[in-house]
Amino acid sequence: MAKKKYWQSFVELNDTEGHQKLAQNEFQELLPTGDAESTNLGDTAASRRDFLKYVGFSTAAAMAAASCETPVRKAIPYLNKPQDLVPGVADFYATTYVNGGEAIPIIAKVRDGRPIKLEGNTLSTFSKGGTNARLHASVLDLYDTARTRTPKLIRNGKETPLTLDTADKEIGAALASSGPVVLLTSTINSPTTKQIIGEFLAKYPGGRHVQFDAASYSGLLLASEAAYGRRAIPSYSFDKAEVIVSLGADFLGTWVNPIEFSKHYAVGRRFDESNPDKLSKHYQFESMLSLTGANADERFTHRPSETGAVAAALLSAVQGQSVSGVDGANLSKGIKAAADKLNEKKGRGLVVSGSNNTQVQLIVAAINEAIGANGTTINWAAPLQTHQGIDSEMETLVADMASGRVGSLIIYGVNPSYEYHNAAAFDKAIKSVKVSISLNDRADETTALCQYAVPTHHFLESWGDAEPKAGYISLLQPTINPLFQTRQFQDSLLKWSGNPTPYEQYFRNIYISKLGGLENFNKALQDGVIEPATAPTGGAAFNGAAVAAAVGAVAGLKKTSKTEVVIYQKVSLGDGKLANNPWLQELPDPITKATWDNYAIVSPQFAKAELKIDLANARSADQYEVQMIKPVLKLNINNKTLELPIIIVPGTQENTIAIAVGYGRKNVGRAANGVGQNAYSLLSYNGATVDWSSSTVSVSGSDAKYKVGQTQTHSSYEGRHEVIKEITIDEFKKNKFVVVQQRESEIGNFGGIENYEKEGSLYPVYDRPGIKWGMSIDLGTCIGCGSCSVACTVENNVPVVGKNEVIRFHDMHWMRIDRYFSGNPHDSDGVQTIFQPMLCQHCDNAPCENVCPVAATNHSSEGINQMAYNRCIGTRYCANNCPFKVRRFNWSDYTGADSFKDNQLTSGVGALNEAVFQMNDDLTRMVLNPDVTVRSRGVMEKCTFCIQRTQEGKLKAKKENRVLADEDVKTACQQACPTDAIVFGNANNPQSEISQVRKNNSLRNFYSLEQIHVLPNVNYLTKVRNTNVLAAHEDEAAREGAEHGSPAKAEH
Amino acid sequence: MAAFKYESQVRAPLVEGTKDYHQVTEDIIRPIEGPPSRLWWIGFIISVLLLLFGVYSVYREVTYGVGQWNLNKTIGWGWDITNFVWWVGIGHAGTLISAILLLFRQGWRTGVNRAAEAMTIFAVMCAGQFPIWHMGRVWMAFFVLPYPNTRGPLWVNFNSPLLWDVFAISTYFTVSLLFWYSGLIPDLATVRDRARVKWRKYMYGILSFGWTGSTKHWQRHESLSLVLAGLSTPLVLSVHTVVSFDFATSIVPGWHTTIFPPYFVAGAIFSGFAMVQTLLLVTRKVLHLEEYITIEHIEVMNKVIVLTGSIVGIAYLTELFMAWYGQNKYENWAFMENRLNLFSPYGWSYYLMMGCNVLSPQIFWFRKMRRNIFITFFMSILVNIGMWFERFVIIVTSVYRDYLPSSWSTYYSPSIYEVGFYLGTFGLFFTCFFLFAKFFPVIAVAEIKHILKKSGENYKPAAEKVEQQSPDTLYEEVTHHH
Repeated sequence: MAKKKYWQSFVELNDTEGHQKLAQNEFQELLPTGDAESTNLGDTAASRRDFLKYVGFSTAAAMAAASCETPVRKAIPYLNKPQDLVPGVADFYATTYVNGGEAIPIIAKVRDGRPIKLEGNTLSTFSKGGTNARLHASVLDLYDTARTRTPKLIRNGKETPLTLDTADKEIGAALASSGPVVLLTSTINSPTTKQIIGEFLAKYPGGRHVQFDAASYSGLLLASEAAYGRRAIPSYSFDKAEVIVSLGADFLGTWVNPIEFSKHYAVGRRFDESNPDKLSKHYQFESMLSLTGANADERFTHRPSETGAVAAALLSAVQGQSVSGVDGANLSKGIKAAADKLNEKKGRGLVVSGSNNTQVQLIVAAINEAIGANGTTINWAAPLQTHQGIDSEMETLVADMASGRVGSLIIYGVNPSYEYHNAAAFDKAIKSVKVSISLNDRADETTALCQYAVPTHHFLESWGDAEPKAGYISLLQPTINPLFQTRQFQDSLLKWSGNPTPYEQYFRNIYISKLGGLENFNKALQDGVIEPATAPTGGAAFNGAAVAAAVGAVAGLKKTSKTEVVIYQKVSLGDGKLANNPWLQELPDPITKATWDNYAIVSPQFAKAELKIDLANARSADQYEVQMIKPVLKLNINNKTLELPIIIVPGTQENTIAIAVGYGRKNVGRAANGVGQNAYSLLSYNGATVDWSSSTVSVSGSDAKYKVGQTQTHSSYEGRHEVIKEITIDEFKKNKFVVVQQRESEIGNFGGIENYEKEGSLYPVYDRPGIKWGMSIDLGTCIGCGSCSVACTVENNVPVVGKNEVIRFHDMHWMRIDRYFSGNPHDSDGVQTIFQPMLCQHCDNAPCENVCPVAATNHSSEGINQMAYNRCIGTRYCANNCPFKVRRFNWSDYTGADSFKDNQLTSGVGALNEAVFQMNDDLTRMVLNPDVTVRSRGVMEKCTFCIQRTQEGKLKAKKENRVLADEDVKTACQQACPTDAIVFGNANNPQSEISQVRKNNSLRNFYSLEQIHVLPNVNYLTKVRNTNVLAAHEDEAAREGAEHGSPAKAEH
Repeated sequence: MAAFKYESQVRAPLVEGTKDYHQVTEDIIRPIEGPPSRLWWIGFIISVLLLLFGVYSVYREVTYGVGQWNLNKTIGWGWDITNFVWWVGIGHAGTLISAILLLFRQGWRTGVNRAAEAMTIFAVMCAGQFPIWHMGRVWMAFFVLPYPNTRGPLWVNFNSPLLWDVFAISTYFTVSLLFWYSGLIPDLATVRDRARVKWRKYMYGILSFGWTGSTKHWQRHESLSLVLAGLSTPLVLSVHTVVSFDFATSIVPGWHTTIFPPYFVAGAIFSGFAMVQTLLLVTRKVLHLEEYITIEHIEVMNKVIVLTGSIVGIAYLTELFMAWYGQNKYENWAFMENRLNLFSPYGWSYYLMMGCNVLSPQIFWFRKMRRNIFITFFMSILVNIGMWFERFVIIVTSVYRDYLPSSWSTYYSPSIYEVGFYLGTFGLFFTCFFLFAKFFPVIAVAEIKHILKKSGENYKPAAEKVEQQSPDTLYEEVTHHH
């Protein structure tokens, strides 16, 4: 074949000379460089080079500008990894939760340098690892955006940041020349701090140290001084008390040391099937329904002004005399019954009173003496040191300030401008003080009036010690470097008293010498607690000389006015120091289930008479409960007026209105500002102590309405004993199978308890080898405090939704406490309360799982009902089909984790509160648990049985090549429960605690809504009431009667 | 034997007046060829505005979350799914009329089937919006489609009734659309053939798929109609059955009811016919089609309404009876307290439903009422209100107070954007319907012509004559015609 030639053009085909030349010259024409510049583009203002310069510059500038604005979040690994730190592995440090005088030994979980979770320290013999909601929430205060970040000079409302050195110089000079220096602090029970204060006051002679407690126990302290010669609060042994009588003391919620008391209280409340008589008996006499009253076996109400009369009547009753001086036959009967029981169990009873009246407390001391409690259930060998403030000292101080007798005032841990009953007087008086220095952590109401602010550390940044109970020391060690330019209170005092030693060194020196060496000190620091080898116990000599006078004095306190007011502390906020904590604000009150507000609690009787709301009438009750908007009352109390919305609480004494302190804060942070109203101003000073009740009250209605966000609005369980079970001890003694028989009647047709799983379904049943997680919740010991709820929120990054969203019933708690009332709402004494912690029941036959179109929720081989958040498309069918209504939907972008930008509304439908934005701040987000996904908008979420913890525990056991033990995995709620009502573990292991609990309580065991065959992995233990009346039975009888008669039903 | 004896002696004619084929074409096609009327413009603009408000409402919901609606932790579905079921129900009449009545040889269907089918398609389009946009993360909606994917072994959950919905609704929509469109083809060709404007000729030329009217075309067309009718018939029953499974297979007291499938289907036909009435009464007036959509049509449909309304009524009573007879505490509460108790928070909605759906249609037992246009129009609105409340009652009054009294909900009422979304679907529906009425023949021209000689007054003498003739004479006449 001839050589074939391919060509593109005739020129190529012909291959002329010209073409050859061209083909060799690639660039046939010159590139248009200089020539083009001068001719073509020369006329334009900018040359090509200029153009390139501009393009280059503007691109660079745009990039630079853009990079300034776009937040870049980098996760940078350690270049030089600290020796003890493994990223992703948590460290645990023993330290102490301190809030005023309250001090509880804790373990702080630190992830990658950030404390993110607090747990109780189980080495402590008095708190035994107990915690409460406030303790769990306090870790968030470390990251509070409202904390003061530098020392400041405050003049005429203007704040100028100072360096610590400048502040020290100025303050040192001012203190030296000001005259008498007064240190106004909360109760201080730290031995080293007391020593430093002593040294400081020695440096400034003429000064003094005043301790002020917003919730004061002056009456108790003074009464103890009179009766036992010691100005202290004894230790109360609720664990040894078989009969507990509380006269308005909310010892499970807010009174003195609730964490310790809850732990001890549970000991006697844990029902033993083989020995039912071991159950303690708890009487409560009070005016409003407190958390403690809600847990009482027998409860009697009286007017607030009758507190003294009730105590006096109880005294005369235990002394064998008749009951007199109290209103109502029921109340007298109750006092008689309580007295009889106390006398019957002499030396095994305990009476406590929440009154701040010295006389009343004196009478209570006399009662305790009469029943032999002194030295048995009342321990004077290790008195409590949590509250030492004496009201009269504060009165004197304010008077001294006003008259110019105070040169300098150093404030630490107190906020009299807010929490002192006569804040106006304090505000005026502080102006007469030459130098005022606030060491508070934020620009609170008092700090705003001071001249200097030298903010102190959060307790998680601090060194130190605390001695909440004489002889029981708990140590503090920092778990993070100080976030801001703050300095510990002790360091400031040392500096200002001219001592160059840093507090850390000072503290170490003391304890190293006290404990005999560095090694012992390190061990103590590691343990967190230093305690006596054997618990000291003992009584104190009682001097009853003043009792007769006290009985006479309290007789005159009783009033007959139409309405009386009692001021109380809420379980969530306490005295209000933690008001800017969104977790606490959003924690529903155990009794009212209301969040984000304080309100006037009124009785159903009051509501019926004054507001035409009848809780006994279904229609009226419905109208009240289905709307969050409540009527507003105009109250005039001690000549101070305020308007508050009402919440009706059955069990409130009919003449009583109850109002909580802790609200109405100003300028303390985005979450607390403008929430509720300040009730401290309603307190009054009676010449010796501050009164927490008043009978100088007038009430008028108003046209105003106000929305209160409640997380639960219906309060009766409507006789649905499949949901929740309670019996009386008599029923149990008569027939110990009463609960078992009830269960059999519910599911008997489907195989009974034994074969229910198989017989109750058409589908085949598969066995479940390996691990099967289970939880048991004892309704008998659950006190409803909400500690688990907050612990769950912290552990699982549960979002805060704010008041607006709570009002829309959008709260997100994975773990909630359902609270039910039973009994006639108009019979204050007869109302019974029951709490049921409700979380995902992890049903083995889960109704939520089969309805999800995309299988985003499914069952693990270990029995956990799982959520795959990134698979969820948000149809909400699972939530509809959940009989326990534990599924929570992300209605809006609560966490800022959404991929849509700027989608958090501040007005209109779905507007979010400031609190949500506070929670989304970069600083606040440091508290997030990195092991748990932050959920975005549009997905469903719910309890996971703390799956991050079960995984960690399993891995730990596996690495150590052993069988999983109970200690390896504890859920957050279980660990947080101060009464150990929650048990969790592998139900397939017969030796595990959960298996044992289910076995040993088989007569009380039940599953909620068992009859619908969802097969929950959470079981409950029936509440056994140590009484012979069950209000729920009466309700049921009334309901049956009503069905045959009129259509109206008992409903509330 | 009478060859043309289809016409009943006791029934009124299906088409009134003296019409011939040309006149039918003129009457029905002419509105397409002229400019739209003022009334049309007003209606269209209102519809588009409503649609835009709906679009804004959905935009809010997608951008800011389902929190733009007032649903809550207890009530996970409210107006969204109520509207969904309501629209799906409305979308039932069209296919029922075109498919089942075709199979049953109901001649009267030809006057109304086109509009009813269009209504079905638009209603299903509206219905489909709700399950889509009610999702929390609608951008992940494709997760419900079972296709081989890169997400590992993740597959849809065939146990979930919501997934069944996806299949049921999409199948129904597809088949209805095909049925409707295949019926349109000969009429579109008529429009094309009459067109004097180039664009119309071109557009309708494309839309009519080259229809020539040849016998072969007609034969295929008829066969296709029959096949599609056969396919659609079970769908009419299955779609709402599947929708009812969303509730019936759940464990919520008030939802968990085995009566739901037949009860939902009857309710759907009930509300569908009511909606057809509403639309046709307006259309026949505005487009002057009184002679095609006659009082007879209206009366027949009213009969269907009173029948299905009564079925629904029986279902309501059966439910109540079973709630009492079953002695299930929770179901009993859902019916006796949440619904039957007028003074419970939502009691009013139950009585509104009962009044509109069960009591009021009973007036159609009277012929005079059935033939009264104003009563019919009023009733058709009332029935659709009642049927909306039926779904609301089922969904909301069941979940708002179910098992755990602690979780009983506060009073749920919709937010502005929840209402806006609903109004938006009205906008979508009527925008489509107005466009349809303007650009498509609202009555099936070809099918009307099919029955014209059997029913038209002026063909009666001829038909009678044919009928009276013996086959022999007829043969004689035909063979000697040329």
